[in-house]
Amino acid sequence: MNNRFVINYVPGPTFFHKLSGFTKVFFFIVMTVAIIATYDVRILWPLFFINLGIMISMKPNYKPIVFMFLFSFVTVTLIGNVMLFVVSPDAGLNNIGAEHILWSSATGRFYLSKEWIWYTFVVFTKRTASFASVIAFALMTTPSEFASGLNKCGLSYKVCTIISLAYRTIPDIANDFVNIRNSMMMRGVELGKKAPLWTRLKNNVTLLVPLIMTSFGKVTNIANAMDLRGYGKMKKRTWYVEHDPTKADKLIRALTWTLLALTVFYIAYARIINPWPAKMWCPWLLREEIQQVSLEESFFLFRWLKGLFEK
Amino acid sequence: MAQKTLGQKLLGVWNTKTIVAVAIGAALFGVLMVYGGIPVTTNTNLTTAMIVPVVVGALFGPLPAFVAAGVGNVIADLIGGWGMWFDWSIGNAIAAFFVGLLPVYGAYVMDGVFNWKHAIIYVLCVVVGNGLAFGVCTPIFTTLFYGGDLNVTFIQAIAGSLSNIAVEVIVGIPLMFILANRSKKRSNLEEEE
Repeated sequence: MNNRFVINYVPGPTFFHKLSGFTKVFFFIVMTVAIIATYDVRILWPLFFINLGIMISMKPNYKPIVFMFLFSFVTVTLIGNVMLFVVSPDAGLNNIGAEHILWSSATGRFYLSKEWIWYTFVVFTKRTASFASVIAFALMTTPSEFASGLNKCGLSYKVCTIISLAYRTIPDIANDFVNIRNSMMMRGVELGKKAPLWTRLKNNVTLLVPLIMTSFGKVTNIANAMDLRGYGKMKKRTWYVEHDPTKADKLIRALTWTLLALTVFYIAYARIINPWPAKMWCPWLLREEIQQVSLEESFFLFRWLKGLFEK
Repeated sequence: MAQKTLGQKLLGVWNTKTIVAVAIGAALFGVLMVYGGIPVTTNTNLTTAMIVPVVVGALFGPLPAFVAAGVGNVIADLIGGWGMWFDWSIGNAIAAFFVGLLPVYGAYVMDGVFNWKHAIIYVLCVVVGNGLAFGVCTPIFTTLFYGGDLNVTFIQAIAGSLSNIAVEVIVGIPLMFILANRSKKRSNLEEEE
């Protein structure tokens, strides 16, 4: 079970591990904003490779990461694209603004266009870049660093405590969960794949009451211990893990500020000053070829509502 | 029990106990989502984790439930092995806010107060909350963050909210009667200063 965890509890030895919490959180937030801001693969791929480089430089245990990637690839990309093909084969037209049909079924209900394939590629790129940034962040950050970094970004320290405390109690609760499940199974309550869905669900519920009782039973103890140590008496709080910025910190912070400036410039330029007529850029389409598709034509609920009103 | 104002009921009282309980609720949410779930469609699980906001809400109010579900979902994404889905975390958090409205309409489960009238309001809140969260918020954020297709997201959202509503109603109501009965025994005691 433990080898599936990507989150770290002990700081590692490499360059990125040694950065201060604020640097890591600031970098992650700016990176997320940058990835969310664009649909342009010419920008998304470099962002992905930056995160991949960071990830590789930390020499992680690749097994859980590859598993995570393959799992999300199969569930989200493969199955998701089959669903997309069935539900909206016109996604290419809606998001890119043109359609070159490669194959079409006899009735014309299902068809495959070049732009549909490009659309799935863009979405895949965007998700992969976001996945890489999350993994890179999760690998380099310990719960306390995460909390101290968020606190320095201006979040109230009580919320930060929630995050670090939740991270830290997970192994305990996972242990309790496994213990309760094992003792339930010893009494003959089947929770594995052998039982049919309904029985499994019902048995999962019987597991809940003791789990909730043990977990929330600890609350008073932990809260009293924290109160006794003076938690929450002051408006501010300092953190053991937050150290003065080193040279490496200053370098990464400067680079992050640059990335932020570039992102703001990109949003201003590509969204307001000189916007591309469709949502996503596509290499084989010229600006003049693109047709605009409004939201109410692309979304079946709006289409249906519109039809209802016109009657 | 001291009388609280509506604002306090909505926001919760953020003392150390609430903070610890919310943190543990978030961790519990994460663990249940990873180990106690049965996949329905991509991105959605028939999971018993949806009970956690009910309990946190019953204990401390809607905003703590909101935080517990949001943080819990982010943690579940980190340990679970399916990548990060902030759009669904936000959806879950908003649904949790509505589910956690219990004390606002007078269902103090931990003081043994929970009857059929509360159960009906609870069901309404669950349906409205899930509909709003997964029918409106998650699709918006999915298109905004990941450029996902609205039609597909909407189908996933319907599947997700139906399974959540099922868990929260079928499991949640009996669970709350059990919890209320457990604490009824000691509810005739009065606290002295």
